[in-house]
Amino acid sequence: MRIMVVDDERIIRESFYHWFQKSGHRVSTAASGEEALKELARTPKDLLFVDIKMPGMDGIELLAKVKEAYPETIVVIITAYGSIESAVEAMKIGATDYLLKPFKPDQLSLVMEKVIQQQKKQSEFDYLKGRLEKITRFDNIIGQSDAMMSIFDMITEVAGSDASVLLSGETGTGKELIAKAIHAKSPRANRPFIAINCGAIPDTLLESELFGHQKGAYTGANRERKGFLEVVGGGTLFLDEVGEISTKMQVDLLRVLEEKSIVRVGSRQPVAVDFRLITATSRDLEERIRSGEFREDFFYRIHVIQMDIPPLRERREDIKLLAAHFLKKFCHETTKRVDRISPGAYRILENYDWPGNVRELENAIERALVLSRSRILEESDFAFLQPPITALPGDPSLREMEKYHIRKILGQHGWNVTRAAQALGINRVTLHKKIRRYQLEPDRP
Amino acid sequence: MTQVPPSQRPAPVVGVIPFGGASLTAAKVIAAHVSGYLDLEAEVLPPAQTPPAALDEKRLQYNAAALIQAIEAMALNDYFKILALFDVDLFIPLFTHVFGEARQNGRVALVSLFRLQTNPGGSSPSTERVLERIAKIGLHELGHLLDGLHCDDDRCLMHFCGDVETLDRTDLNFCRYCRLALHRKIGRPAGYDG
Repeated sequence: MRIMVVDDERIIRESFYHWFQKSGHRVSTAASGEEALKELARTPKDLLFVDIKMPGMDGIELLAKVKEAYPETIVVIITAYGSIESAVEAMKIGATDYLLKPFKPDQLSLVMEKVIQQQKKQSEFDYLKGRLEKITRFDNIIGQSDAMMSIFDMITEVAGSDASVLLSGETGTGKELIAKAIHAKSPRANRPFIAINCGAIPDTLLESELFGHQKGAYTGANRERKGFLEVVGGGTLFLDEVGEISTKMQVDLLRVLEEKSIVRVGSRQPVAVDFRLITATSRDLEERIRSGEFREDFFYRIHVIQMDIPPLRERREDIKLLAAHFLKKFCHETTKRVDRISPGAYRILENYDWPGNVRELENAIERALVLSRSRILEESDFAFLQPPITALPGDPSLREMEKYHIRKILGQHGWNVTRAAQALGINRVTLHKKIRRYQLEPDRP
Repeated sequence: MTQVPPSQRPAPVVGVIPFGGASLTAAKVIAAHVSGYLDLEAEVLPPAQTPPAALDEKRLQYNAAALIQAIEAMALNDYFKILALFDVDLFIPLFTHVFGEARQNGRVALVSLFRLQTNPGGSSPSTERVLERIAKIGLHELGHLLDGLHCDDDRCLMHFCGDVETLDRTDLNFCRYCRLALHRKIGRPAGYDG
């Protein structure tokens, strides 16, 4: 057990130290509350013995801070000056026991027995929580909100059929993960899953990527190439940002879906294809149909089943779970050791609107983890999420609003244009154009 | 420099010293148990005076840490480990009292007869019972000097006993794991002793 003794009297610290050493515990000591908190930030402890009367931060104040930041750490209060009031106060704040110095050796044994029992209960709780976490995960999708539970149910339901699925939701809500989960649960699971971001590929290239081409079909086509519609052979094709594809391509794809065959660019020979189509969009496709930018017949063909993925701000109860998951993930991927996110920092995460959704939350945790110098992510580590104090005055124009929003998203993503473009739901080229148009520059430190 | 072959090296000797009014018989009992249980040579040394500086005048008890420090300063370099026997009440600042005290892997351990000579109800135990308690505390503290840790097995001598009732319930024996660990530390195979 990792034990820390916090007492301003050296002789007491030493007594405890030698005593616990005899039972094989790892013991550290601190002469003040401030020193104890610094040590805790470096190395977490299972059990703290805290003297009530200490100069500076007293034992009760330390107990309160420890219980807020490290709720699972067990604290036993020790004092030479017994008073019922301080004992009651300490127990109310969360102390496990209260010992009056000097105490009989067997009293300490009884306290240790109680602590070990409490720890056992805690580990049983952690085990059950771990099992619960497994329940709250569906493949790599994490959520415990009612909205996500419905999504999990729907994934299982639609996986068995071959019907086209349209996933709609804001950027960063995890549409591709859901597409992968549907594929993984479907009878096509052992065949390829191919994802194409239609918004990131020019139309001419998209045609060649999907349909393939014959040798000499156009300049640079030095050899025959199969398109993804062939390569996917019995698997699932996921077309992200399907609202971005041209009406010509919509017609071509509609034909493929109806005829189950393709004709390579530069060829006249039809080739049979077999795939399941899942599409995704962050746009309002019905609005685009009304404006003539999207074909109604193609829309009805791809949205046999529609799944609406809720934005993160509409399922705030998932934020804590997701943040803890990303923290664990990045700690595993990097050499950085951060144990937890403080309750205050969680409050910031839960109150933020997350326009970039889960992807933005993931980036925020990664950024905070990389820049943090402590073993706990505090409020200050998420200061970049706070809305700027200088908001737009009066009733801003649409242009001003756009400029303001783009600057904000760029700031949130550390001026990484690719990530900012993803969060904004536009492609990188468009974002570069807007940066130039609005003459945006990173803030100087 | 000539090297002494292992078989001719002098065996490590544990010194047992009675301090103040501690009985020589009790010291001999401890020495006999050390030899019998741990296969270490044990020698009872002449009685010594209890270091007066270790007395805490507020508590009217002797500070165990101060006694260990005073004995460590004595010229006893020929001895592998020292077991000091006292008839006075010992304490460490944390506790109201201790039956014995030793630092983990240290050189000096203390045993106090003071609280072993009375039963929980206030009656006097038999001499045999007192000597058995002394032997148990002596072996337990020597176990710490040999880096043995407190044992979860409540019948093992390395199990921590905070009162004489618990001490009386403990067997006068180490569990097989503690015995093995202690014999390894001494560098001898653990013989089967039941």
